Amino acid sequence: MNIVYFLFAQTLLFAIPLMVVALGGMFSERSGVINIALEGIMILGAFFGVFFINFMQNNQIMEGQLLLIVALLLSGIVGALFSLLHAFAAIHLKADQTISGTALNLFAPALGLFIAKTVQDGVQSVLFENQFRIEAVPGLSAIPIIGDLFFKNCYLTTFIGIAILIISYVFLMKTKTGLRIRACGENPQAADAAGINVYKMRYLGVAISGFLGGIGGLIYILPISTEFNCNVAGYGFLALAVLIFGNWKPWRIAAAAFFFGATKTIAYTYNSIPFLAALSLPGVTYKLIPYIATLILLAFTSKNSAAPKASGEPFDKAKR
Amino acid sequence: MEYAIEMLNITKEFPGIKANDGINLQVRQGEIHALLGENGAGKSTLMSILFGLYQPDEGIIKINGKEVQINNPNDANKYAIGMVHQHFKLVHNFTVLENIILGVEETSKGMIKTSDARKKVVELSQKYHLNIDPDAYIEDITVGMQQRVEILKMLFRDNDILIFDEPTAVLTPQEIDELMKIMKGLIKEGKSIVFITHKLNEIKAVADRCTIIRKGRYIDTVNVKDVSKDELSEKMVGRKVNFNVEKTDAKPTDTVLKVENLTYRPKSAHKDVLKNISFEVKKGEIVCIAGIDGNGQSELVYALAGMIAPNEGHIYLNNEDITKSTIRQRTDKGIAHIPEDRHKHGLVLDYSLAENMILKSYYKPKFQKNGFIKFDVMNEYANGLIEKFDVRSGEGGRSITRGMSGGNQQKAIIAREVDSGSDLLIAVQPTRGLDVGAIEFIHSQLVHHRDCDKGVLLVSLELDEVMNVSDRILVMYEGEIVADLDPKQVDVKELGLYMAGSKRGEGYE
Amino acid sequence: MNNLTSKISSLTKKEGSKSVLSSLIAIGLGLVFGFIIILIANPSDALKGFGLLITGGFYRGTKSLGQVFYLAVPIMMTGLSVAFAFKCGEFNIGTPGQYIVGAFTAVYIALKWTFIPNSVLWIVCIIAAGLAGALWAIIPGVLKAFKNVNVVISCIMCNYIGMLLVIEGVKATIFNPAGAESYSVTVDKAIPTFGLDVLFPGSNINFGIVIAIGLCILAYIIMNKTTFGYELKACGYNSHAAKYAGMNEKKCIIMSMAIAGFFSGVGGAIAYLSGTGKTIPIAETLAAEGFNGIPVALLGFNNPIGCIFAALFIGYINVGGNYMQSLNIAVEVIDIIVAAIIYFSSFTLFIKMLFNKRKSNKVKKEGGHE
Repeated sequence: MNIVYFLFAQTLLFAIPLMVVALGGMFSERSGVINIALEGIMILGAFFGVFFINFMQNNQIMEGQLLLIVALLLSGIVGALFSLLHAFAAIHLKADQTISGTALNLFAPALGLFIAKTVQDGVQSVLFENQFRIEAVPGLSAIPIIGDLFFKNCYLTTFIGIAILIISYVFLMKTKTGLRIRACGENPQAADAAGINVYKMRYLGVAISGFLGGIGGLIYILPISTEFNCNVAGYGFLALAVLIFGNWKPWRIAAAAFFFGATKTIAYTYNSIPFLAALSLPGVTYKLIPYIATLILLAFTSKNSAAPKASGEPFDKAKR
Repeated sequence: MEYAIEMLNITKEFPGIKANDGINLQVRQGEIHALLGENGAGKSTLMSILFGLYQPDEGIIKINGKEVQINNPNDANKYAIGMVHQHFKLVHNFTVLENIILGVEETSKGMIKTSDARKKVVELSQKYHLNIDPDAYIEDITVGMQQRVEILKMLFRDNDILIFDEPTAVLTPQEIDELMKIMKGLIKEGKSIVFITHKLNEIKAVADRCTIIRKGRYIDTVNVKDVSKDELSEKMVGRKVNFNVEKTDAKPTDTVLKVENLTYRPKSAHKDVLKNISFEVKKGEIVCIAGIDGNGQSELVYALAGMIAPNEGHIYLNNEDITKSTIRQRTDKGIAHIPEDRHKHGLVLDYSLAENMILKSYYKPKFQKNGFIKFDVMNEYANGLIEKFDVRSGEGGRSITRGMSGGNQQKAIIAREVDSGSDLLIAVQPTRGLDVGAIEFIHSQLVHHRDCDKGVLLVSLELDEVMNVSDRILVMYEGEIVADLDPKQVDVKELGLYMAGSKRGEGYE
Repeated sequence: MNNLTSKISSLTKKEGSKSVLSSLIAIGLGLVFGFIIILIANPSDALKGFGLLITGGFYRGTKSLGQVFYLAVPIMMTGLSVAFAFKCGEFNIGTPGQYIVGAFTAVYIALKWTFIPNSVLWIVCIIAAGLAGALWAIIPGVLKAFKNVNVVISCIMCNYIGMLLVIEGVKATIFNPAGAESYSVTVDKAIPTFGLDVLFPGSNINFGIVIAIGLCILAYIIMNKTTFGYELKACGYNSHAAKYAGMNEKKCIIMSMAIAGFFSGVGGAIAYLSGTGKTIPIAETLAAEGFNGIPVALLGFNNPIGCIFAALFIGYINVGGNYMQSLNIAVEVIDIIVAAIIYFSSFTLFIKMLFNKRKSNKVKKEGGHE
């Protein structure tokens, strides 16, 4: 049974950051702005978060879960501010959204590494201690099965991620602002005529994507390493895939992220799973599964794509 | 006496165009005031200013005698001004209710609350006879119903000053009558209405007064009772206009197009969009398909052009079965097509005018050699067409089509299609959005094409055009042909009955 | 004098000139921004470092210049790949996958097909690599044409699938156990230099630069002079109108992706057939040269000829940046500058759009308004 708990925990570690970033991408696209800069935003958010943790730990100012929460907020804010550059170019200057997105993707790792090398005398990795693993949540870990799955050997970030999912769903689908954001992504002329400030809504959408992207970056790196090299292994782009796969809807995004997480986990742990090890398939097969499966599934489901209709088109008041 | 609305000396310029130039508009409380002008005269711009979508460069607006600033639709709403737009401002995948409350949502504890709104919407729809289903999705309901949603948006916000921008473009004659009744009902409730249109019949039917603007300038304001349609049209255009099309009687010869039992059911639909359609077009005649938008006309044309594949039936061009032919094959065999959507299908807007002129002939030996385009031949050809059809653009054949006006873009498409000399010319709403001069020109081109012993299949929603241009009218209703009429022997009211499905022609029961 | 000024003004009104001007302004702003960053990080050496950056391409004369050409080739090809696909309406973000698939094909043939004489081996490798890249790019093309699958996501998937399959391929066939990488292609099997190493001694330049520039020119001719290019662009600008006009939009999407993939594959081949000891690592990272084609395409305004200059420029400041490292300024500043240039290029596009709008509306008023 232990193997199941382990696999599940690993899956969550892969899936949660993917989901959070994809949800960010969802907000941006739903408001009408394509944001391919998620990779860069993750990197920059994670960089400042890790840098902050490094500083706090080295100088013994803060530690533990409190440090984690403050660092997450910092990552989110950095991500949001950074994404405003993209928002400004895309919304006000009506630039090609792939251009400004690409610029940010290039800029983030370069800036991060530059700062690291300059401040750390040429050393590019930013180190940190992993003080954040929770052995067992008091009380909750005693619950049979669920306790073992979720509340032992876990990270606070998992729960924060799930909370983000629920809040995202409620915010997008049930609140006034969520309705307005969605209107701006489907028919900004209609929103404009209804008295909604389309620019403001789109800035909000992009800022949320930046905030979640930054947080996602930190959530990605914290459980899996003790150093950060301004590299998130293409998670920002994978998040885009998860967003499209999830048809721009929160719960489906979560399912898609979980699917990716699960297949990625199996790819690295299949030898420990008795019946899979017996199959003696070459290791690469498992690594290929998430990508090939995505292609096949997309081939069958893309006819009903629910891409926001006005996504990617700059809003021009003069157009009727 | 105080006016409900006064717009005084309004001027609005867009880059390069003075859309409004010192216009005055005064609307009395409780009247239906028509705003008359040709396409492109500046009517929509003026009303968009009133609704807060644009701000005037000069001039002031007064509501009930007080000067106000309307900076956005929320301000307009504050002054109880509402607008039903020509192109509906509805979100396709929201429900009717969500569209109505968008912008004025009621919330409790942060979440949207719809119970009160729903009650109010249902009450309003009953009071004003505007039947809708609050939970239907916009993309699933008819155009007529969508318009009712737009009207309900205004009533929901307790608007008193209601602006209607070309509301009748998408309605049957009967629905137009209903709309007129609704408008009169609204007046009785104390509302004031501004009604933008270029249709003289409707002005005569329902408006109290009418302001005419031409090319952005104010011309006159008249009491509708005291003027004739001819006088109105003369003020609108600036010269005497003959709305009748000059043409001799048709002399039809051989059959050029024969359609047999054409049926089409797209995978997503529950019923046939085209039901067992059969008809003929002969050389030397103009046949017009009349009907309300959405009764299968678009699909019929796409099937004829080869852009969709019918499920059953046959299409014969000059007695050759082309049902399975590709689009290019049909073009080569003699079908020219002026499409419904000039931007989506008719032109590649980012290409130059000359490149668009050879859009359907670039592969022919005349324009290419060994795969290389002969640019000089292309330019010569384009220049010829530009001159012959008076297509105006900044740099002639080299102009980027996106920068041309709608009317000239349409002329370019017509030039290309008509000049091909094809045996069958299919023209779908060729004069939509054009001014009277262009309309006259295009009608004469259609008649000329017919007189060169070719067949013309016209699809039109403008009843005047249907009656004046065609030699024979086929009415489509719910995917079927329901009547074959002689325009000389039927009047508009009757035509409307056929279009609404209330009447069927002989042999079509 | 009047003749000259009117000639200049008509030249500046041309579309191409406006793009070039916009690019130059963006480059200028980007360089200024980079200078400010260097100034903040390293105030004492800032001026000297920036100077090295700007002039590094000529620092050691023809050797540096040769290096510029050598570095520019892979990104010129991936940039051309992205630009070509953009013109045809698709965002080819699959260049890393196409690049590495091409690279593997080239290295494999170079090392294993010993029956082909060395004098023509490189030609066979390059063509095969291009075809491999084309094949790899056809997958997203076909999925889009027939199943309406979003090209961006299928390209991303193919990047990873390509990377993983190449790693397996290397492990199975040309694996060098000593270094966790493939064997490299030795100089005798590499692309010949045809005398370029005499012109640019000490650098790694080879005939590849000529091939790359030649392919860019070929792409330009295809795009702008042929009926094939006319169709591809029409499909890219407006696939509905293309269908209406009788064009086969499915064929266009697939062909344009295939050609784009061909260019990326060739880029991979040239990079790994340079005889400089470059090897394919078996680390699971996506080829950076693949993604670096995107800035090249954007800087070149998606114009094949523009890609030549954009790639040369980026190669140029890369060489300069490497020299600048000697002053303890982190080499990442190069990427910062490139990123800034691209970001600023979106501003200048806006200005260009304003110019065009004003001109076209003036045109509308004079010619078009009825």
